Amino acid sequence: MSKKNLSLYIHIPFCVSKCSYCNFCSFPATLDTQKKYLRALNQEIVACGKKYQDRVINTIYIGGGTPSTLNDGAIADILKNVRENFCTSKNVDITIEANPNSFTRKKAEEYSQAGCNRLSLGLQAINPNHLKILNRCHNFKQCKDSINYAINSGITDINLDILIGIPTQNIWDVKEMLDKITALPITHISAYSLINEDNTPLTRQIVSKMLPEPNSLDVVNFYDFTVDYLQEKGFFRYEISNFAKKGYQSRHNLNYWARGEYLGVGLGAYSFCDGVHWENTSNLADYILAPTESQCGIEPENIITAKEEFIMLALRTTQGLDIAKYNKLFSADFIAEHRKNIDYLSNILDLIEIKDGFVRAKNFYMTNTIISRLFEFE
Amino acid sequence: MQDRQNHIRNFCIVAHIDHGKSTLADRLLEYTGTVASRDLQDQLLDSMDLERERGITIKLTPTRMKYTYKGEEYILNLIDTPGHVDFTYEVSRSLAACEGAILIVDAAQGVEAQTLANVHLALDNRLEILPVINKIDLPSAEPEKVKKEIEDVICIPAEHAPCISAKEGINIPDVLEAIIREFPSPKGKEDAPLKCLVFDSYYDNFKGAICLVRVFDGSVRVGDKIKFMQTDHAFEVTEVGYFTPKAKPCDALLAGEVGYIAASIKKVSEARVGDTITTVENPTPEPLPGYKQVQPVVFSGIFPVDGNKYGELKDALEKLKLNDSALEYQPETSVALGFGFRCGFLGLLHMEIIQERLEREFNLDIITTAPGVNYHVYKTDGEMIEVSNPSNLPDLSYVDHMEEPYVNLRIFTPPEYMGSIMDLCVDRRGENTGVEYLDEKRVRLDYSIPLNEIIYDFFDNLKSRTRGYASLDYELSEYRPSKLVKLDILLKGEVCDALSLIVHIDKAYIRGKAMVEKLKEVIPRQMFEVPIQAAIGGKIIARETVKAYRKDVLAKCYGGDVTRKRKLLEKQKEGKKKMRNIGSVEVPSDAFISILKID
Repeated sequence: MSKKNLSLYIHIPFCVSKCSYCNFCSFPATLDTQKKYLRALNQEIVACGKKYQDRVINTIYIGGGTPSTLNDGAIADILKNVRENFCTSKNVDITIEANPNSFTRKKAEEYSQAGCNRLSLGLQAINPNHLKILNRCHNFKQCKDSINYAINSGITDINLDILIGIPTQNIWDVKEMLDKITALPITHISAYSLINEDNTPLTRQIVSKMLPEPNSLDVVNFYDFTVDYLQEKGFFRYEISNFAKKGYQSRHNLNYWARGEYLGVGLGAYSFCDGVHWENTSNLADYILAPTESQCGIEPENIITAKEEFIMLALRTTQGLDIAKYNKLFSADFIAEHRKNIDYLSNILDLIEIKDGFVRAKNFYMTNTIISRLFEFE
Repeated sequence: MQDRQNHIRNFCIVAHIDHGKSTLADRLLEYTGTVASRDLQDQLLDSMDLERERGITIKLTPTRMKYTYKGEEYILNLIDTPGHVDFTYEVSRSLAACEGAILIVDAAQGVEAQTLANVHLALDNRLEILPVINKIDLPSAEPEKVKKEIEDVICIPAEHAPCISAKEGINIPDVLEAIIREFPSPKGKEDAPLKCLVFDSYYDNFKGAICLVRVFDGSVRVGDKIKFMQTDHAFEVTEVGYFTPKAKPCDALLAGEVGYIAASIKKVSEARVGDTITTVENPTPEPLPGYKQVQPVVFSGIFPVDGNKYGELKDALEKLKLNDSALEYQPETSVALGFGFRCGFLGLLHMEIIQERLEREFNLDIITTAPGVNYHVYKTDGEMIEVSNPSNLPDLSYVDHMEEPYVNLRIFTPPEYMGSIMDLCVDRRGENTGVEYLDEKRVRLDYSIPLNEIIYDFFDNLKSRTRGYASLDYELSEYRPSKLVKLDILLKGEVCDALSLIVHIDKAYIRGKAMVEKLKEVIPRQMFEVPIQAAIGGKIIARETVKAYRKDVLAKCYGGDVTRKRKLLEKQKEGKKKMRNIGSVEVPSDAFISILKID
């Protein structure tokens, strides 16, 4: 019997300094704390490996924080531990996140030898003023160097994260950034619209009018420009915020959007396995003390939440929602369940289309409106 | 046997709102040992949460107390009454069950508009009136002056009126003794056929409709076959009892007593308040006169936010109607809001209370449309139709003229606020019909004013202009010809029938402008521009625009986000449920009520 696929997410919550817009589980930490954390993380990996012997890991994503801030050798240790305890697929896809200022030639070689075959660089912006607003300390040269190190070490599948909608950013800034990054030998771009999350320094600055709030219409125009520009350069949009050259879509992320199973290890990591969602504690002391007993927020899915998640995730992709797949999975009739709202969304608001057995969002800017409508079942 | 009735006193307490009626009632319960003071919640008789929160009494609760006077034990039945102007009819119901009324007057504020109205009601019912001066503990109390005012303004003797503080518990026995001394005892015929007045009723999920009754003649006990004389429905009595203030079953209710009857009455319409109950086998020949059936004066549409809840709304209104005979409703259909009911109320407070009870007690989300009054529309063919729903107003080419109801409004106020009140009344198309100085600190102003102008926010406005010192009372007077128009609101070019209003032509522009401004605040931005227009007969008189919204969220969605994002979108969905689609425009259900709160 063939084993079920499982994606593995490994969280490294440390970074050199906290970015002004970030509300993730990440913070600067001492070497001693890092050491304790890694010990706990490796314990959890061992325990999970035992538990999931019936699964085969086909994608691994090491995210953060900034995994590249860890001491040399730490990532190799983690991946070695994973291979020893889990059953990993022969052509497992391993992505590691890094920042241009902490990625070195040595690290590139370490990661490559440990099996990493994909690098995701947090570039976010190239304009020094924008980087300052975001509280990020790197420059474009470091980005180019990082890419060279990666390619020389054999990691050729490279993603850049960029942000659209940074306060004071204008269309020329966006164009300049796109000009420069598309000239680099990269395969994937994640272009996120900057969300002002609650309780971040950036949001506070905007609320107190120290920074101008980006106009939503401008952001829409910048983003439309980005979509067209990237397509021209051979980066095709396959999800709301993700663009890839042909054959370079992120397998790890595709698994999320297809509601595949994933296991998250590390502080505050989320998991979805056997129809249950849960997360690890976000309290570092608790985690270090008992990494294998840190699960909380355990939530078994029911038919409604499962349907809702399927709809939510599928409609984020350009492929859209596969009606036949939905109907089979849930023994339901998608069209009959949503007749009224499909009519409203397609005929009155012109936000979705149904073609070739797929429901697609025609306007990704209104995804929340579309999805929340389709959360109503008749 | 007359001796038994000689030891009963049935009385109620009437007062202007806030003069301390419920506090005195609580104090009487405490002094008679009916309720131990440690069990005494503030305002015990106000059983609805709503009543206690708002500090008002809406429902009547009759309570039996025992008090020993000169070595003899007396039964005192207190029937509490509401004080707000909207609930005059409830007062008249209590009065019909009593022989006496305590009239509370605030020792600092003196006679107020509602004091006068209640006294007139009590006198109409031929009740003995016992004035009681309350709040003598206040530094500003002037009991002697207030006694004189009672004698001058109300023309009843007040020399021996007990001077008390219900709050501080001062001189409460004086009141109890005066009740026994001054009020007549009931004089019912014990052997005569049963004759008993239903002065209130409520619905109990287990026992069915419970009738609160005053037995005038005869007696009623468990197993008796009774009938309601108006509806001619017969039932077998399953329980009789009285309140202490908790319901306490007993063997029988005899002539002169106050209590309750349960008879497995399932249909709420079969136990009508004001009806007379007698026995099937030995009926009384003549029913009691009952009392004046009240007419609703304020009307509005009530719709379920969720269209599927129409049935639940109907059941809820039916149950409320049992406790509240003044509530009227009939089915109504709106293009914008679907199926609902057009309801008639005694006033704006009554309307708010019904709304809140629907929401709290029946857990319904409802939309209420702007309140209006009943207009008389004379058509060109001579026919007169009554219109309370703006949507039913015929095309103006078929209308000869229209009339609107006016009220006689009395306002009692300290003289320094006269100017401000007069400005308010002129602004509301009122005509002054009299000014009378009661003394150097109180003036009575009389106005003839359209009812339409006082149902929105007149009372709030009056209170803020007079720092709460003025009081008002009104009754319907007549219909007068008036230049009225229908004001429509258009959303993205489509008339939203639920927002239409009938207004005086001189007010149409200001009101239309205020409404579109308010709606601009409450209608969220949508994917397209939403023009909001006010129009009279196709002519646009005001316009605002809700700008388009082009982006809701464009965020990263990684593994950890899935549950969080789903919950966020579920919330958005719940929010959507409170929206109504008017054409393609989404309007929050609050929008309909928000436009009432325009100054």
